[in-house]
Amino acid sequence: MLELATDALTVALTAAGLVFFLAGTVGLIRFPDTFSRLHALTKADNLGLGFIVLGLALQAESWHAVFKLGLIWALALVAAGTAAQLVARTALRADEGGRPTRQAEGRE
Amino acid sequence: MGRTPRQHDRARGAVKRGLLLAFVWVVLTAGARDGLILGLAVVPAATWLSLHLLPYGGAVRLWRLAALLPGFLARSLVGGLDVAWRAFHPRMPLAPGWMERASRLPDGGRVALGGELSLMPGTLAAGSRGGRIILHVLDTTQDNAATITREEARLAALAAPEGRS
Amino acid sequence: MTGWFLAAATLLLLTLAGALWRVWTGPGRADRMMAAQLVGTGGVAVVLLLAAATDWAMIDVALVLALLAAFAAVAFVKAETPEGRGDPEDDDA
Repeated sequence: MLELATDALTVALTAAGLVFFLAGTVGLIRFPDTFSRLHALTKADNLGLGFIVLGLALQAESWHAVFKLGLIWALALVAAGTAAQLVARTALRADEGGRPTRQAEGRE
Repeated sequence: MGRTPRQHDRARGAVKRGLLLAFVWVVLTAGARDGLILGLAVVPAATWLSLHLLPYGGAVRLWRLAALLPGFLARSLVGGLDVAWRAFHPRMPLAPGWMERASRLPDGGRVALGGELSLMPGTLAAGSRGGRIILHVLDTTQDNAATITREEARLAALAAPEGRS
Repeated sequence: MTGWFLAAATLLLLTLAGALWRVWTGPGRADRMMAAQLVGTGGVAVVLLLAAATDWAMIDVALVLALLAAFAAVAFVKAETPEGRGDPEDDDA
């Protein structure tokens, strides 16, 4: 019974992960400009991986498998957060001709 | 004896980092016995390298970091849902634009802030110029400035009072 | 359970094929790079699902893939900046 519930939860979580991956791909294809696509990529696929990791952690055979899953996700998360700004910055330099028009100026 | 508080802090920072890396090592080797022996060489080397590449820069309170984690995860979930909704929506409600904002965080803090903001709903860091963070926003009609102020305050609270920039 | 994991891995691979389309069309190099990144993260997820379906030891493969994906992005940035730098804190690279 408990095992059935865990399995159901695993299926639900991994399915949610798939949806986010799909969202990332759809955004990557549909969004009009490079930077908007980068939004889709960074946010959606990390959640996708996160949900899949969560779902699989429930099925893990040992505690270190759980931690290893966590490690993989943390690595992907930090890498994506950092890589996103690096790629964004490089892309910004690449089309430096069109300097960003600041439509919304931050306070301060 | 005769250690200045600063040195003391640094030693503590090194020990903390060593413990963290030791934990990672144990996870990677699944606690196997020969793995542990190798770890006696690997962990100090990794700690040295880590301190060399990223010198100790003021205590980051680990427990404060842990306390931030649930909120961060929740907000990055919102960020993912937000972007997924926009991607799946037939009309794709986007109003992309740019904003620039001064940050009082030190260098490393700005990178962390940028990384964090890139996972928050609607904001994406694209480097900085002259201490001002450049951000791309998905929707210029939402209150992005509030998001940035909030995240910056959270990160600033992480650095311990005695930690210099 | 194994069946679901294999099905999920297959679906994920199909999704990633969409990202490969973006690698193909670009237009910018950054577009291609980030699509490759999506394939990287997705690849990690696929390997994890296969690990759960077959052999947990495969987790290590996923870990290495995750590391490589991170390095790939940094390498891209280093290659794109003329001086080979890539520090987001460089104000005038």
